[in-house]
Amino acid sequence: MKLSTKCRYGLRALVDLAVYSESGHVALHEIAARQDISLKYLEQDFSVLRRAGIIRSVKGAQGGYMLTKAPSEILLSEIVSVLEGDLLLIETGEQDPTDIRSFLARNVWGKLNANVKDVLESIRLSDLAEEYLELQSGKEMYYI
Amino acid sequence: MRISTRGSYALEAVLAIAMMPDAGSVSIREISERTMISDNYLEQIFSLLRKGGIIKSLRGAQGGYRLARSSSAISVGDVLRAAEKSISPVICIEDTSVCGKSTQCAARNTWCRLNRVISDTVDKMNIADLVKEFAAKEDASGQDYAI
Repeated sequence: MKLSTKCRYGLRALVDLAVYSESGHVALHEIAARQDISLKYLEQDFSVLRRAGIIRSVKGAQGGYMLTKAPSEILLSEIVSVLEGDLLLIETGEQDPTDIRSFLARNVWGKLNANVKDVLESIRLSDLAEEYLELQSGKEMYYI
Repeated sequence: MRISTRGSYALEAVLAIAMMPDAGSVSIREISERTMISDNYLEQIFSLLRKGGIIKSLRGAQGGYRLARSSSAISVGDVLRAAEKSISPVICIEDTSVCGKSTQCAARNTWCRLNRVISDTVDKMNIADLVKEFAAKEDASGQDYAI
């Protein structure tokens, strides 16, 4: 049950955007530098996120991205389903699924999918942004 | 998030073994026919399941495989971990050495929660329950045809 790298990086980038876009849009290369993520990855992720309407771009030389809604209105379930596709996918292959496979798809994977979705629906981007800020401020305290 | 093919096939195989009439042991061939998974793939999976203590092989003229313990004592989590080692959504919660930022990671708590819900869900389901549910489903569909 692995989350793809694309999803993990995309989420980190969105947390960064949530934190740093309060004073205006943020350029992709800034996020890449701060979060240590390759620009290529970010470009792919952000085009998907833009098409899904979670972020919008500001054109121009000083352009960048902004969230389309407040971080408190963006659920993790929405982000993950945009970046990962449907939460849990069973590859049924070319053949028709066997009775066992269909049964497990409903009774096991379907249940798992629903439970994971519940957790993701209970977490907002603002929750992660707050945690990020706490960790940042915590770091500085060690330098007194 | 993707369910790995290996994990899902392992579960299908174990369920198939558990549902075979209790006549001793089953062969890879029989499970292959029941699940439509290739013999080759099943051999790999069976080897992992054996090492993970889910099934055991029987020597001698009979040969074959059977469950290593009662189906009510084998959880879906047990099967998946035997097939895949790790069922957590991200590697870094179990192995913090893969990423130097774990103490500063804002997502860590979320991954831990996801990990917990996945483990809780699969650890609460056992093979005996699945066999019963499968049988009940078969009966239910049979009744649809009764006038």
